[in-house]
Amino acid sequence: MENPKKTVLHGWHVDQGANMALFGNYDMPLWYKTGAKAEHLAVIGAAGIFDTSHMAAVAVRGQGARALLQLCLSKDLKTCLGKEKNSLVDGRCVYGIFLAEDGSVIDDAILYQLGPESFMVVVNAGMGGIIATHLKKYGDSQNVDVQDLTDKVGKMDIQGPLAAIILQKVLGNSESVFDRLPYFSFKGGFGPFAADSAVTLVDGTSVLVSRTGYTGEFGFELFVEIDRLLPLWTLLLDAGMDKGMLACGLAARDSLRAGAVLPLSHQDIGAWPFLHNPWQFALSWNNAMTSFTKDFIGGPALLQSHFQKYTLPFAGFDPRKINAGEGSFVTRESGEHLGTILTCTTDMAIGRVDGAIVSVAGNKDFQAKGLCCGFVLLEQPCAPGEKVVLTDGKRKIVVEIRVDVRPNRTARRPMDKMLGC
Amino acid sequence: MKELSEVIFVEELKYTEDHEWVTGSGATLKVGISDYAQDQLGDIVFVELPEVGATFAKGDQFGTLESVKAVSELYLPVGGEIVAVNDALGDAPELINQDPYGNWIVEIKPSDTSELEQLLSVDAYRQLLRG
Repeated sequence: MENPKKTVLHGWHVDQGANMALFGNYDMPLWYKTGAKAEHLAVIGAAGIFDTSHMAAVAVRGQGARALLQLCLSKDLKTCLGKEKNSLVDGRCVYGIFLAEDGSVIDDAILYQLGPESFMVVVNAGMGGIIATHLKKYGDSQNVDVQDLTDKVGKMDIQGPLAAIILQKVLGNSESVFDRLPYFSFKGGFGPFAADSAVTLVDGTSVLVSRTGYTGEFGFELFVEIDRLLPLWTLLLDAGMDKGMLACGLAARDSLRAGAVLPLSHQDIGAWPFLHNPWQFALSWNNAMTSFTKDFIGGPALLQSHFQKYTLPFAGFDPRKINAGEGSFVTRESGEHLGTILTCTTDMAIGRVDGAIVSVAGNKDFQAKGLCCGFVLLEQPCAPGEKVVLTDGKRKIVVEIRVDVRPNRTARRPMDKMLGC
Repeated sequence: MKELSEVIFVEELKYTEDHEWVTGSGATLKVGISDYAQDQLGDIVFVELPEVGATFAKGDQFGTLESVKAVSELYLPVGGEIVAVNDALGDAPELINQDPYGNWIVEIKPSDTSELEQLLSVDAYRQLLRG
C-alpha cells in the first residue's frame, strides 16, 4: 500500500496528541485529548472546527461546464433551488450524486456555481481524480476544462450554533458576508476560484465561505489556498477559545452526521443503485416520483432497476452498538434475517425520555447518555417505528427504524437568529 | 494518542495481552483495563457487565465496552465466578477513561489460581506495547 497522505494540518493534529487513523488514505485525527464525546457536544452547544482538507475539489470550467454537470450530477440544476424550484445561480451550491451508468454511486458531491461557466465540485477524500476522469469521459474537451485539485485546496469546517459569532471575529467584512447567506449559499473565493466580490480574513487572506456542513448543525465550510489553511485554523482556534469551541476529529464528525441522517459515501451509499434511501431528494424526481425531470448518467438505470433493498435510519434505546461489518446483520425480533448494518455509531447528544428522543440542544438540564444510531440495508421495507434487531451473532440489540434521529438541529436556522445567540 | 512514555503503568499489577489488568491476593481478583486500552478506545459510553454469580472459563467473553468508536469485548483473564461488578460504571462509564486503574470492572473468585502464573508482569506488558 502507498504511504498514507497527510493534510497540511497533520503536524498540528499530532502535536495536540490526537488519536490518528487512516481515512480515505489520509492519516487523520479520530479525536483529540478532549475526547470524541466532548467534541460532539461542543458542536451541539457551542462550535467545533474540523480539518476537511482531505476532501478533494475538481474545477469544471468553460462554455460546456454547466451542460456537463447537468448530464453527470443527479440533481437537476434547472430546478434545484428552494421551494420555487429555481435554477442554480452564482453563489449557490447544491448536493448531488455522481452515478455510474448502472445507477450505482461513484461519489456524492457539493457543486458550487462561481460563475455561469465556472464550477467547483467538492467530493470525498481520494475521489478527485476519479470524478475528474468521469467528467472528462462525458465532456467535450473543446468547451469544458476539468481539473483535479486534490491536495491543492485548503478546506476546513466550523460547525455549531456559535459558528457565525466566532467566524465573525476573523472575517474582515463579516457584515456583508453574513447578509443574505442562506443554507447552501456561499460568498467569496480563493486561489483557483478568485471572486469579483472578495471575502477576506482579518489578515487579508481570500476565503470562500459556504453555509454548508456535514454535522446537521449550523455552520460553514471554508476554502482557502492550501498554504493559508494553517493560519486560518490558528486564527479560528484563538477566536473560539473562550466560546467553548473545540477542534474535532473524524469520530465526532461521524456521530454528528449519523444523528443528522446524512450518508457517508462508500459506506451508506456506494456500489449499488441509489434507490430506496433517505436521500432521494438528491435525484431529479418529478413531483409524482415516476420519472426524472432531466436525462442524466445513471438515471435510466434507476428507472428500470428492480433493486429491492431499503436503506433506513435507525436509533437505539441506549448507547449500545453492534460493530458494522462482516458477521453483523439485522433480523426481525422473530429472528428472520432482514439485512446488513451500514453505519452504527453513538450520537452522544441524545437520549430517550418516555421513549421519545430528546437532545441536549435546547434542554440544558438534560443529561444525555447517548443513543446508538446509523443506517441498515434491508431486504424488505420497514416502517418508521418498527423494531429490528442488530446482532454480531452473539450480542443483540433492539433498535427502532426512524425517519429522523437527532431533534433540534440548527443547520437551517436563519443567520440573524444565530448571530444573536 | 498517548506516546508510550505517557502511558501509565502500575508496577504491582498483572496484565494480559488483551490490555486488561488484574490485582488481588488470590482469594478474589479485580479486573480492569489498562491506560493504553482506554486511550486507544477513546470515550467509553457504555459498559455491559455480567451477572454476579456467573462463571466463566479463562478467555471467555464476560462483557463489552462501548467506546465512541466501536464495541470491544472483555475477556476474563483467569477462569472463575463473578463475585462483584462495579455498578458505578453503569451511570458513569467515563470513569474508566478518567482513572483506568482506580475503576475496576469485575471482581472474580478464581477457580484455578495457577492460571495467574500465565499473566504478564508490568515489564512484559510494557515490552508487548513496544512491539
